[in-house]
Amino acid sequence: MTDYWLNKLFFDLQQQPEKAARFKSDMKAVLADYPLKADLREAVVSDDLATMAPHANAYLLRFYYAIRGVKDDDFIRRLNELPASGGTSNG
Amino acid sequence: MMILFADLMSYRLRGVPQMAELVGIYAASHGPMIAREWDRLSADVRGRIEAGFSSVGSRLKAADPDALVIMSPDHWVNFFLNNLPAFCIGVGEEHDGPPEPFLRKVFKHDTLKGHPRFARHILDTALERGADPSASHRLALDHGFCLPLWRMNLDTIPPIVPIVVNEVEAPMPTMRRCLEWGHLLREAIETYPEPIRVAVLATGGLSHYIGQPGMGQIDEEFDRTCISVFEDGDEARIAERLQQAVKKTGNGGDEVRNWVIAHGLSGAKGFELLGYEPLQEIYVGCAFAQWQVQSPRSAAKV
Repeated sequence: MTDYWLNKLFFDLQQQPEKAARFKSDMKAVLADYPLKADLREAVVSDDLATMAPHANAYLLRFYYAIRGVKDDDFIRRLNELPASGGTSNG
Repeated sequence: MMILFADLMSYRLRGVPQMAELVGIYAASHGPMIAREWDRLSADVRGRIEAGFSSVGSRLKAADPDALVIMSPDHWVNFFLNNLPAFCIGVGEEHDGPPEPFLRKVFKHDTLKGHPRFARHILDTALERGADPSASHRLALDHGFCLPLWRMNLDTIPPIVPIVVNEVEAPMPTMRRCLEWGHLLREAIETYPEPIRVAVLATGGLSHYIGQPGMGQIDEEFDRTCISVFEDGDEARIAERLQQAVKKTGNGGDEVRNWVIAHGLSGAKGFELLGYEPLQEIYVGCAFAQWQVQSPRSAAKV
């Protein structure tokens, strides 16, 4: 199920380079602006792709990992390691 | 409205109204890595991409349109989950160029000219037919719109009527509805009371997987299904088979809806594949096509 605030975070980071820079230096300060569910907030902090993916739009998820500086090869490997039921919300 | 009324009167006084003419229908893939990674792609892949876009671009140049309707998804630039239209028509005087930094470097257009009067006519036609699209007086045109324009290397970019189709977040328009949009666009072109030449470009597809398991793979079976149903032409079969096929492939496959709109516009005939390259370097089953336009009038410029 698509989660509004998780995707809003990804969308804002894509649209606002300043926010993306702040996210890198002080993630928790940026997250304070988003009323994320506890498990999704923790998933962002701990970089838990398997928890985020079912609630994320796939395109926004890709933008997010690009913004975090993850190379495509690593991102693809991690996507392909997700449990079978773990695809993104709009697959 | 005054201008439109005056124009209508002038056509009436002259007798036979001069109507718009459909001069070309095309489709081209649009993967962002074509721009982002261009200098790092192998020469072979660059050549294949160039050949594909040239095949469409040379035809588009020869068609010499006064207006170009482009169907593409919006990759989370204009719209978000708080406001996500199924269809949106760009009716403004001008549109913003691509926001993506990698595309701005090579496609140096801060703005692109619109065609507000023709766009408004499409909008009015849609409303008359109960399609009720959203309208935007200023869209930012991301790589979905601008990447093919960049690679086709047109001397001049004609005024654009962008049509955004939601192909990024479920639920999405049905294939049946996309065919109806094609019919509607055809009607709008044929009833537009100005002697302009109109071309149509569907962008995106065929298969790709972005941000989901399978990313980087190409689903050639899906791509071949798309090509074969367009060649077959029958609308009912397209609606049924593609509605099922998009459920079993990557998210980029959803962009085939733009091709389905083009197919509906063509009268469900005349599809001609200009090139198909499953290019793993850019993650896209890259395809190029045209639909032969059967015009009652000469294609020569009046």
